[in-house]
Amino acid sequence: MKKIVMSTIVAGLLAFNANAAETYGPYDVTVKGYKGKKENSVSYTGQIARHTLEKSLKKLAASGTGKDNAKLKAKMMAYYAGKDMGRAIIDPVTKGAFKIKQSKVDEISKGKNLKGKTYKGLIPGFPGQMTGPELVEFLIDKASKTKGGYDPVTGYKYDQLISKFLMGAVFYNQAVDNYLDEKLEANTKPNNKAYKEGKHYTGKEHVWDEAFGYFGIPAHGLKLDGEEAYGIAKKKNLKVADYNKDGVVDLKSEMTFGPAYYAADSDKTGTSYMHTITKAFIDGRELITSANGEALSNDQRAKLKEYASIIKVNWEKVLAEATFKYAGSVYKDLALIKAIVEGGNGDIKKAFKKYSKHWGEMKGFMLALQTSGKDLGETAVKLNRLAGYGPVLVTGGQVIGLDKDGNYEIGGNMNMENYMLHMLKIQKVLDDRFSLLAKKNDMTKKMKDLIKSMGKAAHVEND
Amino acid sequence: MNEFFFQPFLKEWLEFFTNPQKRVFWLYILTALFIGFIYLFYTKGSSKLALKKLFAKENWYSKSAKADYLTLFINSIVMIFLSPKFITKSAVAFALFYYLSDIIPKYQILNGVFEDWFVAILFTSVLFIIDDFAKYWIHRWLHTIAFLWPYHRVHHSATSLNFFTIFRTHPIEGVLFSLRTALVQGFVVGIFFFLFANQVSLVMLLGANVFSFIFNLFGSNLRHSPVAMPYPKWLERYLMSPAQHHIHHSKAKEHKDKNFGIVFSCWDRWFGGFCHSKANEEIDYGLKDDYGDKEHTLLYLYLVPFNDSFSYFKKKFFKKI
Repeated sequence: MKKIVMSTIVAGLLAFNANAAETYGPYDVTVKGYKGKKENSVSYTGQIARHTLEKSLKKLAASGTGKDNAKLKAKMMAYYAGKDMGRAIIDPVTKGAFKIKQSKVDEISKGKNLKGKTYKGLIPGFPGQMTGPELVEFLIDKASKTKGGYDPVTGYKYDQLISKFLMGAVFYNQAVDNYLDEKLEANTKPNNKAYKEGKHYTGKEHVWDEAFGYFGIPAHGLKLDGEEAYGIAKKKNLKVADYNKDGVVDLKSEMTFGPAYYAADSDKTGTSYMHTITKAFIDGRELITSANGEALSNDQRAKLKEYASIIKVNWEKVLAEATFKYAGSVYKDLALIKAIVEGGNGDIKKAFKKYSKHWGEMKGFMLALQTSGKDLGETAVKLNRLAGYGPVLVTGGQVIGLDKDGNYEIGGNMNMENYMLHMLKIQKVLDDRFSLLAKKNDMTKKMKDLIKSMGKAAHVEND
Repeated sequence: MNEFFFQPFLKEWLEFFTNPQKRVFWLYILTALFIGFIYLFYTKGSSKLALKKLFAKENWYSKSAKADYLTLFINSIVMIFLSPKFITKSAVAFALFYYLSDIIPKYQILNGVFEDWFVAILFTSVLFIIDDFAKYWIHRWLHTIAFLWPYHRVHHSATSLNFFTIFRTHPIEGVLFSLRTALVQGFVVGIFFFLFANQVSLVMLLGANVFSFIFNLFGSNLRHSPVAMPYPKWLERYLMSPAQHHIHHSKAKEHKDKNFGIVFSCWDRWFGGFCHSKANEEIDYGLKDDYGDKEHTLLYLYLVPFNDSFSYFKKKFFKKI
């Protein structure tokens, strides 16, 4: 009997450990002298609240009627810069059987906004010499005046531009340029003190949690494959999302958001960005927890930085993969428009709108990629020049700048065919710099496949 | 240990016979034997004599033949280590493609001008023709440039020919052939993709360029075989017959530097080297200078060419005044 009890306990402990290794938390409270009742030190609700703000803002940006709409602009600003109580979560919301637990941002975290966390550096890929927050506010203003976030004159699709840019300027930047950067130093947010007086988590625990929150993966992300994590973001798979089996999806820990969604999207092709990043987050958090509320040693911090480096490198690749994919989509859209212009069948307005959407996604991600606080140097210059400020229009030309009143100036001599070539070059620049793996929509794949089909050049067959 | 060591090579050797992109693919061997037999049967008048000639010991089991097999064995191992260092056709194609796009602001100018099938045939033909043209020149230089000849001499040191004599190649030649293929094919692919974009495709049969497939299916292996089969005169003016290539391997003075071409013989007519085959011509194969059986030893197959090539440089550039 004793044996049975012991082996049950051992098996139970092993199961618990296995479980702990595959989900992000719960982790014990390790703060020395903590008097409260909390038992789980994990906390990243502020980050999840910002994910819902970003998604909601995207929906709002696509909801304009085409008339100057001050009310819409004010509402968008409330989601971007405000901290008001009572803001409804516009997205993600319940869809059929996919029931979502929270319907208000405050239910996740109170008083959060995006503006305070937006990358404040210059954004050279867009005209106007604007900083991150200035650019978002500029785009919000423009979006509020369009119908559905779409401006057919310039080809801008604002909801896409705003959403994808924020994925870099807030989530990526905050994680890689703040929490996984200077906040890992010994004197910043040390592990032998509570993050703030009275809190149930240490400085380092919370720093790490916040970075994890921005990635946007469900806490049980390691148990999901790319397809499943992707399906959760699309509100398609309640069964895999609802990890605690309470019948609803808790946005705080069971939803896939932004960066993780795109990692999952790549991983559907066989890469493992999502798992690599999630595993590094879990390994890092376990290392911090294992310090049991003591300050981290130099060795422990060095190890933690190794995990941080894995996260940074792969997160950057995820954004580069997304940019690559949409550059390919833009290429295909341009080929279709070209065919229609040359007399083929098809609705050119519809084709142009689709092109505009994909361009917005590509450009948004391209700008996002440049918000890590690390200078991408020549790569950034090449990408920005190849994409230009705006999509090339059917009649040629693109947005080349802003006048003093913030109106777009259209000009230049770029035509659609050469712009297609620019898309190929964008893909090449991205692949050369970031050594991509998924390479969705690789528009030179046909050439690569053809060369492969021709066989190896190396041979010793004489003539 | 042996099993482990030879595993990757075994795959490489097997591929010679299973890959239709290789010249000794099993089907090409069978068709060459069949065509050779038919030809010999008609010229010799009996199947017994035809078979005797076709499978002559001198061609398949002589010292020369054994050296051919040995080089096939050694070269494939050498190439496994060397080939990753070579420039790839992909690198050449993309470099050219992006270079063109920088200097000519007219991407895919011919895209949509022709039907896809036409572009495919055009690409396949151009690739085949230019590749053959490049082969003619490289082959010619291997004969006429003094410091290259010692390497190519290895191939010509065969005193009898069989299907595997094509592998009797010095590794330096292997490097040159590989470079040639990468440059020429990469060049054609780069230009075609720049002009036609995704319209470009290769017409293939069993995974090989359709023209190479046809060339090989119709007895290309007879070029190195006991069967010096001629073509009608009019055809030999355009396509190199096996007999014409046998002349290329002849020791005779009047056959020196003749028939460099591979598929097309017109290169030789236009740029020099053309020679028709003659009926019932007896050919003495091998080198003018007789080295005896030494030519079939590893020393002569692999090392002496380096020495001779360097000696040429020494003589040319470091003469005593």
